[in-house]
Parts: sequence; C-alpha cells; structure tokens
Amino acid sequence: MTVTALRSGSDDAASLERTFRALSGAGTAAELSARFHGALAARFGARVRIARTAPAGWEMLAGEPGPLPEAECAPGSRAQGETLSVVRQTGDGSRICAVVERPGAGEGDLTALGLFMTVFESALREIVSRRHEKDLIFSLNHRVLQLNSLIDTGIEVSSLECRSPHHVALERAASLTNAARGVLRVTRDGRLLEEVTFPHGSAAGSERGGGRKIGSSFEFGGERYEFTLLDKESRQGEVRFDGTDQLLLDALARQVMASLENRYLHRQALEKQKIEQDIAVAASIQQRILPKTLPRVEGYDIAGINIPSRSVGGDYYDCIPLAGGRLALVIADVAGKGVPAALLVSSFHAYLSAFLEAPVEPAALAARLNNVVVRASTEDKFITAFFAVLDPSSGALETVSAGHNPVFLRTAAGELRELSLGGIPLGMLDMEFPYQSETVTLEKGDRLLLYTDGVTEASDEEDRLYDGASPLREFVSRHLPDRAETFISDLIADVRRFTGSAPQNDDITALYLIRT
Amino acid sequence: MEQPFSLTSEVRGTTLVIATSGYVNNVGGEAIAAEFARHNAAGVRSVVINLGGSKVVNSVGMSFLIEIIERLQDTGGKIFFTNLDPAVEKMLSIMGLFQFAGKAPTVEAALQELAATGGAQ
Repeated sequence: MTVTALRSGSDDAASLERTFRALSGAGTAAELSARFHGALAARFGARVRIARTAPAGWEMLAGEPGPLPEAECAPGSRAQGETLSVVRQTGDGSRICAVVERPGAGEGDLTALGLFMTVFESALREIVSRRHEKDLIFSLNHRVLQLNSLIDTGIEVSSLECRSPHHVALERAASLTNAARGVLRVTRDGRLLEEVTFPHGSAAGSERGGGRKIGSSFEFGGERYEFTLLDKESRQGEVRFDGTDQLLLDALARQVMASLENRYLHRQALEKQKIEQDIAVAASIQQRILPKTLPRVEGYDIAGINIPSRSVGGDYYDCIPLAGGRLALVIADVAGKGVPAALLVSSFHAYLSAFLEAPVEPAALAARLNNVVVRASTEDKFITAFFAVLDPSSGALETVSAGHNPVFLRTAAGELRELSLGGIPLGMLDMEFPYQSETVTLEKGDRLLLYTDGVTEASDEEDRLYDGASPLREFVSRHLPDRAETFISDLIADVRRFTGSAPQNDDITALYLIRT
Repeated sequence: MEQPFSLTSEVRGTTLVIATSGYVNNVGGEAIAAEFARHNAAGVRSVVINLGGSKVVNSVGMSFLIEIIERLQDTGGKIFFTNLDPAVEKMLSIMGLFQFAGKAPTVEAALQELAATGGAQ
C-alpha cells in the first residue's frame, strides 16, 4: 500500500460536518445509504460500496457491485492493497461495512473512512430507533384497534338489523388478524349448508395446515359454524398466526353465537306475541258467541256467567228463545283449553243455532250434535253438554245430559235433585247414540243450577277440590237469594274464598234459573 | 362480502385520484403504493384515495397508506381519503392516519379542499 498524506484536518472536518447534515435529513435506511454513498464518493473520489449483513451474507445498500469483506469479518478497519474497508457492529446485531477502492489510498484515508462511518452509524442508529418507535406506536395503535373493533363488531352483530352476523365476523376476524383469506362453513350432520369465503370468491379449498391457519367453531341449533383464517400477512411475507389472533377469532365466533341465540329468542318472543294476538282475536270471537244479556222470561229470573281460565276458553252457555215461547238452556264444556277448544266451541255454537231453527227434542238435538262434533273435532276433543227446553207457562222442563256434570234442581220444598239422564259426551264416539231425556216440572220457587267442572274442580293451594266435601250441594241447598244474579255472584265469591290465592285452572261457567 | 382487490387511477389536474375496490391488505396496499410511487416519481404531490369500494382494511394495508403519507409529508404533498365506510374511517382514525391526512365525503369534495388550500399544484 502506498502511504499518502492525510488531507488537512479542516478539510475533513468540514466534509464530515456536511455529511452529518446530509445524513440527518434522510428518512429511510435506503435514502441514508444513498446520501452516505454520495458523501464518500465526494470525499474519496473512488468506487464506494456500502453493505449490511443479511441472512444470506452481505446485502448491498448503495454503490456498484464489487468485492466485500467476508460476512463473518469482525468489526474493525482494514487496508488491503488499494481497498479500504470498515466494518461496524450495529445495535440490532447486524453489521454494516463501507468499502472504498482508491488508487494510492493511505492510512489517513482509512482513518477518515472510519470517521465517516461513525457519522453514518450514528445516523443509521437514529433512523432505526425512529423506525422502532414508529413500529411500537403502530403496534400499540393496532392493539387499540383490535379491542375497539372487537367491541364494535359485538355491537354490530348483536343488532337484529345486522343481516348476516357471521359474514361480518369473518370479515372483521380476517382484517384484525391480517389473514389474507378466510372461510366460514355451516354444516348440519356433516352436510354443508353454507360456505362463505373472504374475500368473496377466494379459493377456500387450498387450506394448508400448521401455523398457516387458525380455526374456531361452535354449534347452535344443530348446526356447526366453523371459522377458518388462512395465510397471515406481514410486510416481510407470510408469518404464523399467534395466540392473540386465536383469541380474537374465538371472541368473534362467540359474539356470533350470542347473536344467533339472541335472534332465536327474539323470534320466539315474536311468535309468542303473534300467538297471544291470535288468542286475543279468538277470545274476542268467543266472547261474541256468549250471551251479553239473557232473555227476560215472565215468571223466571235467569243469570249466567263465564270466566275463562286463559284468555280464551272452552266453556259455553246460552238461553235461546224457541218457537212457541219455549226456551232452550244450554251449557257445554270442551275438553281442553285455548284456541283449539275455542274453535270447537265456535263450531258447536254454529251447529246448535242451526239445529234450533227447527223444532227439535233435546235427545234428538244431542244425537245430531254428536254426529257433527265427531266430524268437527280431533280424537282427543269432545264436548260435555246439558240441554234443557223449558215451557215457561207450564214449567215443564225436558233435559238431556251429554256426559255433563249433573244439574241441580233445588225445589221450593227443600229437595235437591240431580238431573243427569242422557248419554255420552258429544264427539266421543262416532255412532248413532240413543240419548235419553227426562222431564220435570218447575214449580214456583224452584231453582236450577247448570255449571261446568270449573266450579267443582276449582282447587285451593293444597290441591283440594271445591267439590271435595260437597260444598256446592250445601251452597245450592242453603243459599237462596231472591235474585238469580245474586246467587251467581255469591257462588263465584264462595269459590274464590275456597281457592284463595291458587290460580284458576279451568273455565268457570254457571247458569241459574229461579221460577219466581 | 368483500371482493378481491382492484384499483383504478386517473390524474385530475395535478392530483392523482386512486379508487380502490376490495380488501386493502398486503396485495391491495402494495398496489396502491406502487401506483402512488409511479406518479410521485413523475412529480405528483397531491393524492386522493377513494376507499368507497373497500369495506375492509388490515394493518398491513394500512402500513402502505402510512408510507404514502410519510412520503408526501417529506415532499410537502397532501393526501385525502374519501368515501370512507364508517368502520374503515374508525380504523384509520385509531391508527392515527388523520393526523397527517385529510378526509372528505367524496372525491370532488377532496379536490375542492385541495384547491382551496393550495394542495393541488
């Protein structure tokens, strides 16, 4: 090596100062390297190469390709022939080197190159530090974003207005974990019901294993929802999904499950509301077929009541004026409650009204009704009923019971009789059943009570029945108010007193007649 | 569901207007950055990015947008994001992009604002 004279100290100091200023303005390592390359070229007027270590050896940062020190070369300054090289260790564990090929290079040039390298090293460290700071801020912001998005997504997918919560969750999961692709499969018993890919149309089939994908699944309503995210991205290429990614995906999948549960419950509530509306309509219809007022019949006082146990019930009663001044008294009870019972009551009322248009005896009426009710009802539905036709002038009362509770006749003389002759409940058997009737004569002061089993089977808190100790017989025998309406209200009060706070289990219907 | 990424661009006056569609991820972000770099090298210093067709952006895609912002900051340029989906707008906001970039409801509104502030050369 030829030893050459050092430049004057002031020349190199000025050059170093210019270099320091030039490097300070660089925003990136590449830009910094380019500026440093320019500064070295200006100082040494020679071929300059700047490189740093990379996994595969040296990576050129600036300058023309040419020989570089061994990648394993220890930090230090070296002169070999006309080639000067300086290798420095950086803070992140890598090494940087500057190589100058200058004819006649000397010790002073090597020293100067070392000083320039120190300036470069310092500027590079600052850039790396700024980069790290930016990366840290970016990373922290991204964590905030993930948490925020998790909350927002939870709100969005739980909204009933969100049309497809599982689609939204898949998009958000892919975005928050930097997955390049995602797929959601919905299956039932292993059969694919729905497959959604993100982005739309991306190939979901090419799924590799290991850290290249993560998954989360849940089952709801017999359907399995399986989320899979694939190919986590980074600026450096594909990387493995980490624990946070799995937590995010699991959390989003849980949000979808909660959303599906909420939607299910909401649908149930709407269906219940709809059923309640239907029941209200049915109740309204049923109330219309029950008499608002009873006919006034000279020499008789009549009162009735119907208290459904639900909003719509299966009991029926009426007093229907017939041709020739006669009066039909009817009470009926459909097995079961609710809308089906109300529908059958409605049919019963329609047939009864039609059959009473023409003269008909109670036994024949029961037989005809049995035939039509058999056809109108299901196997588990039947009607118990009691029919009576009164001739008000004579007091003659012809009755027939179709499997109904015995009707009480309390005579003015103090006798209590039960009227129960008849036959089977209507609609129970598909056959021409020979109903039998009986005839009694009502005298002045005689009283007649028709009722349904809602009265006799009313129970108290300990499930004891109102009729268990025959209080009804006692009540009918002893309670003799002047007005039929008073008797009905007192009867209801007595039943209420007996049942206490126990709920009403069945419709309560009663019809009371006094021959005055 | 989000479509695969695509973009269109045009120069309106002296402003580069990029309109994206689909997932702004590594692929999408790189495509936006490349389109910007091509015009930036030719002297374009103001950019409007219409993200109306992109409902999903990931952090890799955002890192490319940040690079564009930094590049424009270094060279005294300006950038606006427009037609933002509320979720995307919130993401960009949390990531701090609007500290250095503007946002406008439409491309036209962004161009007007750039003209008013002398951002469009």
